[in-house]
Amino acid sequence: MSNEPVISLRGVSKRYVKYDDQPMLANALRLRARSKRSSLLALDDIDLEVQAGESLGVLGRNGAGKSTLLQLLCGVTAPSSGVVKVRGKVAPLISVGVGFHPELTGRENVYVNGTILGMSNAEIDRRLDAIVEFAEVEKFIDTPVKFYSSGMFVRLGFSVAVAADPDVLLVDEVLAVGDFAFQLKCFARMQEIRANGTTIVVVSHNLNVVRGFCDRAVVMSHGHKVFDGPTFDAISEFYNVVGSEAASDPTTGELATHGAVIESLSLHNAPTGEPVLHFDSGDEVVLRLRARATTDIANPVMGMTITTEAGTVVYSDTNLMSPFPALAAGEAATYETRLALTLPSGGYYATASLHTAEGGHSVVLGRAVPVTFYVSGRGLASGVADLGGTFHRADS
Amino acid sequence: MRTAEEGFELRGPSTPPGVMLRELWAARQLLVILARKDFYVRYRRTVLGVVWAVGVPLVQAVVLSVVFTHVVGIGRSYASSQQAYAVFLYSALVPWNYLANAGPSASTAIVDNVALAGKIYFPRALPVLVTATSAIYPFVIGIVLLLLMSLVVGSGIGLSFLLVIPAAALAVLLVVCVGLCLSALHVYFRDIRYIVMAVLSVGFYLTPIIYPLSRLSAHHHVLRDLIAMGPGAGPIEIFRAATVGSDSALTLAVVACACWCVVLGGIGFWLQCRRDRVFVDLL
Repeated sequence: MSNEPVISLRGVSKRYVKYDDQPMLANALRLRARSKRSSLLALDDIDLEVQAGESLGVLGRNGAGKSTLLQLLCGVTAPSSGVVKVRGKVAPLISVGVGFHPELTGRENVYVNGTILGMSNAEIDRRLDAIVEFAEVEKFIDTPVKFYSSGMFVRLGFSVAVAADPDVLLVDEVLAVGDFAFQLKCFARMQEIRANGTTIVVVSHNLNVVRGFCDRAVVMSHGHKVFDGPTFDAISEFYNVVGSEAASDPTTGELATHGAVIESLSLHNAPTGEPVLHFDSGDEVVLRLRARATTDIANPVMGMTITTEAGTVVYSDTNLMSPFPALAAGEAATYETRLALTLPSGGYYATASLHTAEGGHSVVLGRAVPVTFYVSGRGLASGVADLGGTFHRADS
Repeated sequence: MRTAEEGFELRGPSTPPGVMLRELWAARQLLVILARKDFYVRYRRTVLGVVWAVGVPLVQAVVLSVVFTHVVGIGRSYASSQQAYAVFLYSALVPWNYLANAGPSASTAIVDNVALAGKIYFPRALPVLVTATSAIYPFVIGIVLLLLMSLVVGSGIGLSFLLVIPAAALAVLLVVCVGLCLSALHVYFRDIRYIVMAVLSVGFYLTPIIYPLSRLSAHHHVLRDLIAMGPGAGPIEIFRAATVGSDSALTLAVVACACWCVVLGGIGFWLQCRRDRVFVDLL
């Protein structure tokens, strides 16, 4: 029995029926075929097994089926076909504070929420002090939660959820809660929970969280499981999927061109030359731009920018001062720039453009669609750049 | 299939009835705590608090007894005095108010709990039970008040007053059965909310609240029987039997109410088992 997986999905599909038009009682009574009914296959024939004590990450873009998968694991919804089996008590750590009533005090809400999460009264009595202490709301525990700051609210929610001591913990976007200090505390608590043998499933856009917790991850795309394996490889695969989905998406085709066609933009591992989208901090990479001139270009120049997912520019550069040799109409060229990615963990965009230099100014000829990639950073380093800090005591 | 505590196994949308019952039993503590929360929240931040649970129906009883004895003038023909009519009226208003308060909220309970339902599993029938349960608190207070009223302004009470217990139980059962059925349908047909409100406002006059069934028997036997068979008449007639004396149509009313419960409850439970895990897809 013990080697039976804690979570097992076999051939699971989930189809949602969408009503473009709400069904009217009259239509239903006439049993008329509803022509405006269409269905959406959110999950298509998924097989997945998670063993006790494993922590699994689920990656995918919006609409890839992540939320549906999570709902199935909570038992909130049932599969349209296939079998979902979960052994043990499941607690979702999703949208903390769900079920909190603003008029009730912190203490009352702990009891209500704790019961919802499957704790008995006696268990809550026993854990109340620990819950309150962890949430750092000792002074306000008998105050209605509507007077709580949003930080206090979320801390109490998280604190109750992790106190439920489940066999399977399902984690959504909640780890991005509270201030930085509390996030670290949550992180530590989660590590503790994992060390206790709790099975954890993390569904997050935040790859740092997935990377921090999970040994293994699956990548979802359009309702299919396209990858299942070590987290590092899964993150690479995720970026490949994001890249190919963006390429096949007609709305993000080639951006405005006035004299050059951008044929491709890619990132390569500098020593080996193979295309990669997932790097370790400090890796040497090559950003390669391939373009074809549609007019004669006297002074071709490459520009490139790396931004964070939020759009902050990390690095931008151009060879405006020393242009490449002239390019004739119809001629193609490959330009490269070599970079050292000393960046903290996170997702980034790299983009490049082709310009022509005219008397110290540049005129844009074509811009490439950004490439997204991920950097696995060094430790807990965060911010815009990794300045390579080390810590030591100086007076001894 | 096992209960939530030991995990679960899902194959398609329906839940076997046995599993459903076990899930509901496992959620009993949640039922109690949610019902208590509902009740607390309703009167919190009001100066008079729970007094409102008594005050509102009391004002209603006084107004109705004045209107129907002095303005419309039918009260006097049903009872010896205005006070006696007030007791007669209040004995029906206590169960009626329970039905009218808990009924509509039970009928929309699944949709109203969407915030919680989308995040965590509990049997979707649970919110129905919660609304039926939380309304029991003011119901009990109303019954106590009815007891006092019968003693002070009425003709006193006997052992028959104990009949309010099965009567209240029947009213709760009725709300649960109606709620199980309508809350499931309400997920698919949001019209239910308005249909219930319309039916209740008509129902107030088609249920023997302001008049006794016996008044109808002289001329309209069929009408009397039809009204006695309305779902709300059962608990009301037992309340009357407990306070001001029973009507000849008591048995008919109780049997009819039990039939409503069996039919609606049966359909409701079947719907809940069939759709339990997929309601959330349409919320």
